[in-house]
Amino acid sequence: MQGSKTEASLLRSVAIVGVGITELKSSTPQVSYKELIFEAAQKAYEDAGLNPRKDIESFVCSSEDFLEGTSIFDEYVPDQLGAVLKPVCTISADGMYSLAAAYMQILTGLFDVVAVEAHSKASDIVNLSTVYDMALDPVYTRPLGLNASFVAGLEMSKFLHSRGAGTNHCRMVVAKNRKNALSNSLAMYGGIVEAKGESQNPVLSYPLTEYDVAPVADGAAVVVLASEDAAEHLRDDPVWVKGLGWASDSPTLETRDWLDATYVRLASKQAYQSAKLRNPAKDIQIAEIDDTYSYKELQHLEALGLIGDAKAHTLLEQGAFERDGVLPVNPSGGSIGMGHTLEMSGLVRVVELVLQLRGEADRHQIKGVETGIAQCWRGIPTTSGAVVILSNR
Amino acid sequence: MTTEPIRVEGDFPVYFRYTVGVAGEKFFREIMENGRLMASRCSSCNLNYLPPRIYCERCMSRLEEYVPVENEGTVEAFTITHQDAEGNPLQEPVGVALVRFPGAYGGLVHRTIDVLAIGDRVRAVFKDKKERTGSILDIKFFEKIS
Ligand SMILES: [Zn+2]
Repeated sequence: MQGSKTEASLLRSVAIVGVGITELKSSTPQVSYKELIFEAAQKAYEDAGLNPRKDIESFVCSSEDFLEGTSIFDEYVPDQLGAVLKPVCTISADGMYSLAAAYMQILTGLFDVVAVEAHSKASDIVNLSTVYDMALDPVYTRPLGLNASFVAGLEMSKFLHSRGAGTNHCRMVVAKNRKNALSNSLAMYGGIVEAKGESQNPVLSYPLTEYDVAPVADGAAVVVLASEDAAEHLRDDPVWVKGLGWASDSPTLETRDWLDATYVRLASKQAYQSAKLRNPAKDIQIAEIDDTYSYKELQHLEALGLIGDAKAHTLLEQGAFERDGVLPVNPSGGSIGMGHTLEMSGLVRVVELVLQLRGEADRHQIKGVETGIAQCWRGIPTTSGAVVILSNR
Repeated sequence: MTTEPIRVEGDFPVYFRYTVGVAGEKFFREIMENGRLMASRCSSCNLNYLPPRIYCERCMSRLEEYVPVENEGTVEAFTITHQDAEGNPLQEPVGVALVRFPGAYGGLVHRTIDVLAIGDRVRAVFKDKKERTGSILDIKFFEKIS
């Protein structure tokens, strides 16, 4: 039933016609979050060849009040985005959810051109750990007084144990993504790091070390979506939104699935159905996915269903996810190499995928890619994520 | 005059009093009075939710039946955490386990006093009755059953 409903409702095609992103930086003390958003918006509108005050009909933003330090933060977005006196709303989730909302606004015929915004001013947050502490259940978990990274520590130990994988595989993910980031001028944390040997990095929550965690960064991204007619009028290389999906597992620590990223399995199934991909493993040539923690890249890869029954760490050993591998994964450097940008993380994955599909990903371009996947996760302690499939055909 | 970028200090001081609800009352009062774990039962799904809740997330039935759960279980996942909630290093790292209990769907996450492995058997150790306040901290920790 779900399949036929999804297909029947795809009344028209939607494309990404413009992307704008700032460089990601560990701190940006000279510019405010509004100025970061303004820079990304100007770039996106210029890329799309649009006048935001005239041509963009609706705006969807992403933010979480505790990450902004301002409650009812959605009131603070219209001016720097060109959205004053226009329909604008905020979704308290990763930017990929806002992209899904914008997609649906166009799909229904309500609007033809919609902009999506997400940003991170992580360097303004003095005690980010406390935001994650405040995300723990206040009755059953927060009174334990634990650092919220214990959730990732528990999951990582369970995942590695069940897969027969080791922390050496997690180090290989970090080494790959930081090396990839060296070729990405937007990335903050490119570098050559040793994949072998014991990590000397401080343990956060064993076996999770600081090394396994994508370091945060500041930045902003804006993506412009348009209906089929508008897109073909605007540019000759639109990137089509072929399908998307989002899902949440049981949210409590006690009843969720601790082994598999069920939210990604469900979201990607929905996305493959709406994209009518019969053989996603064959059709998808590139993946930009969530690597908030090193092990998460492996866990998310398995849940995406792109590697059959194989274990991600085994293929990783064989180099399958390198830029010249069978399935390049995070050729941009991912969040580990580019910097983790909070609710903007998923939209960074989308921007990177768009650049790849337009052949504009400069030194980290994968040759000849036509269809790719981007995936996000909302971070601890959530079991929520989204998936989008993009294609240049 | 300093040329450092100007930044304005601020904070977010909001205080809460979290309601534990119908199922939470049942859970915490049972611990306070009888030192016993209590789950809520969905008979249509044959699931006993621990911690209890008044709804079944599978079939959305309202749950009114409660069943006791023994306080000995099995380690599903284990970690040793090295920072406190605010991110400061801990003098003594803390063991944390997710524990499953026979016949219960869900489990409990709590501190441990032992270094544990997945599959280890543990028991919930409660505070003395007069010290219990209706909090998850009425359980002191999990200890290994040797
Ligand atoms: Zn039920």
